[in-house]
Amino acid sequence: MNLEGPESPKRNIPMSIDWRQIERRLEEAQVAIEHAWEPTAEETKRILRERAKGLAREHGQTELADERIEVVEFILSSERYAIESRTVREVYPLENLAQLPCTPAFVLGIINLRGEILSVIDIKKFFDLPENELTNLNKVIVLQSEKMVLGILTDAIGGVRSIPLADIQPSLPTLTGIREEFLKGITSDRTIILDADKLMVDKKIIVEEQVPE
Amino acid sequence: MNWFLNLSTRGKLFVGYGAKLVFMTAIMITAYLGISAIQESQQNLYRREFADALDLMKLRVHDNGTRTAVLAMIVTTKRAEQETWHQDIQQRGKEIGEIMRRLLERNHGNQHLAGRLEELSAIRDTFSQTRDNQVIPLIYAGKLEQAKSLVMGTQYERYKQVRAIARELGDEVEEQARLSVADSERKSLQVVYAIAIVGLVFTLFGLAMVVFLSRVIATPLRALSNTTERLALGDLTVNIPPDNRTDEVGSLIRTFRTMIEKLRKTTLEINEGAGVLASASAEILATTTQVASGAAETSSAVSQTTVTVEEVKQTAQLASQKIKSVADSAQKVAQVSKAGCKSVEEAIEGMQRIQDQMETIAESIMRLSEQGQAISEIFATVNDLAEQSNLLAVNAAIEATKAGEQGKGFSVVAHEIKSLAEQSKQATAQVRAILGDIQKATSAAMMATEQGTKAVEAGVKQSDQAGDSIRLLADSVNEAAQAATQIAVSSHQQMVGMDQVALAMQNIKQASLQNVAGTQQAESAAQNLHELGKKLKQLASQYKV
Repeated sequence: MNLEGPESPKRNIPMSIDWRQIERRLEEAQVAIEHAWEPTAEETKRILRERAKGLAREHGQTELADERIEVVEFILSSERYAIESRTVREVYPLENLAQLPCTPAFVLGIINLRGEILSVIDIKKFFDLPENELTNLNKVIVLQSEKMVLGILTDAIGGVRSIPLADIQPSLPTLTGIREEFLKGITSDRTIILDADKLMVDKKIIVEEQVPE
Repeated sequence: MNWFLNLSTRGKLFVGYGAKLVFMTAIMITAYLGISAIQESQQNLYRREFADALDLMKLRVHDNGTRTAVLAMIVTTKRAEQETWHQDIQQRGKEIGEIMRRLLERNHGNQHLAGRLEELSAIRDTFSQTRDNQVIPLIYAGKLEQAKSLVMGTQYERYKQVRAIARELGDEVEEQARLSVADSERKSLQVVYAIAIVGLVFTLFGLAMVVFLSRVIATPLRALSNTTERLALGDLTVNIPPDNRTDEVGSLIRTFRTMIEKLRKTTLEINEGAGVLASASAEILATTTQVASGAAETSSAVSQTTVTVEEVKQTAQLASQKIKSVADSAQKVAQVSKAGCKSVEEAIEGMQRIQDQMETIAESIMRLSEQGQAISEIFATVNDLAEQSNLLAVNAAIEATKAGEQGKGFSVVAHEIKSLAEQSKQATAQVRAILGDIQKATSAAMMATEQGTKAVEAGVKQSDQAGDSIRLLADSVNEAAQAATQIAVSSHQQMVGMDQVALAMQNIKQASLQNVAGTQQAESAAQNLHELGKKLKQLASQYKV
């Protein structure tokens, strides 16, 4: 009789589970999975309303701004940077990077973009930002001017945004040297706007081109 | 002399008194011989000298008588009287002949005497013949004158001769007797001398013997006696010089030495023993006092125990009743345990089924897990797609910017695509998180299932054990039932026993009281013993060792 003592709670535990309720919940889950791609009428309505609101706001802002510039936002070591989208040709995932020997530290290497060989530089080196490991989530922003095409390594792409010029403040007086040269300004939400034209015509980069010649 | 010392006292006495006996015997023999000689000489005196003297006197008397008778015959005239006298004469003649014959016979050794006697006899014969042949017939013939002359003549002469010879002989015999007496006296004197000498020697010897024996036996004994007196006074330090004599005195001395040794040893031991006894008796006294108090306590305890036994008795009665109900219960329990056995077998079967189902569950969960993995792969693809869409949207926006005013609409679309891509990315992240939760839950379920399986296995084992246990339990319960029956019987006996115990306790109580009294007596006895021990110690200490 005593030996049955320890067994009885084990029996009691399964007995305490309400199998009916579990079955019901499983059934509900099944139904939910089956109808996930068919939002209910209320859901559809809500989504549509949000979109309408979004669209309405965008238009309002656009009309209110007098002079704006389009920028491409990107992330470098958790800091937000932006470059004027007119200098950007396209963005591209970092693929097939070939490192170059005998180059300065900021030259990351070269990539093959649809048959076109581009050099990629790491501007974190200019700003003394901490290095992150390269992954396939890294993106390359391809800058194009009349003279040259250049790839900048970023951690992630934020998107395209239009910023009113009034919102852009001059760079901080504490920044000096190369940072001050490449900086165009900083927005109220602390997005640092880089001057791509200056970057591309900078002699340091060009000097690099002369060394292999 | 040494041999005599070594001789036993009996031997010594034997030798001494033997010598005395020999001397005494010698004296006695000497005396006897002397007395015999005296006796013999006296006998001789009596038989010969006195007899001869007597016979001679008789002879003279008869001669006188005969002469008187003859004269009487002559005087008288009557024939009758003459014949009477004649007869007397004849009678006397015969007697004279007889006496003569005796005298001759007795003295034929003595030449002188015999010759005289022969002479006398011859004269007498002549006398007698003359009388008989001449005188008597003359008388009868009446010739009295003739007869008278004859008698007064020749016959008288002869008669005178006879009387002279007889007187001479008598003197001679008397002389002889006197000699004999003198001889006898001499002999007796000799005997007296001999006895005196022997007696003197004997007395000297005896004195020597006394002195010697006293020296040999009495002196060491006196020394021993002195020693013994010292011993008696308790001086055990006395020493007796050793002696090599082998007689009783020597052995007595040796034995005495041994005795003193032993006595000394024994006294020492007694001394020690007395000490031990004194201390032991003190301890005994103490112990006895304790025992007395213990006995008193025991007595009171026994009283309490008696009461307790009474209670136990009542309890035993209750127990007996309970035991009966327990026996019934045990029977019921035996049946229940059989049912339990069956249930456990069913439980084991049920456990087996649960195990099978657990395996099925495990397989299902495994499949679920694998499917979750497949889904996660799909999500990677979807995420990749969202990323590319995002890039495309960015590129589209850039292109739209480049297109200027005309590209504005396109820019909105591109923005929309970008936000869609981000949403899908977020959704993917959510789904991924959910999938992670699902995977965790699956793992947990898997582990739970595994634990469940193990638990079920353990359950099967435990069920088996439980089955065994219950079977054992059933057996035990059966035994218990039997035991309960036996206990019921035993309980009854116990009750009877308890009655006896109660009685016994009563007896013990009495005995305990007696014990107390006895212990008190023992205590007083121990007190006495203690005093005795002390006394004994004192006594023992009187002996100097």
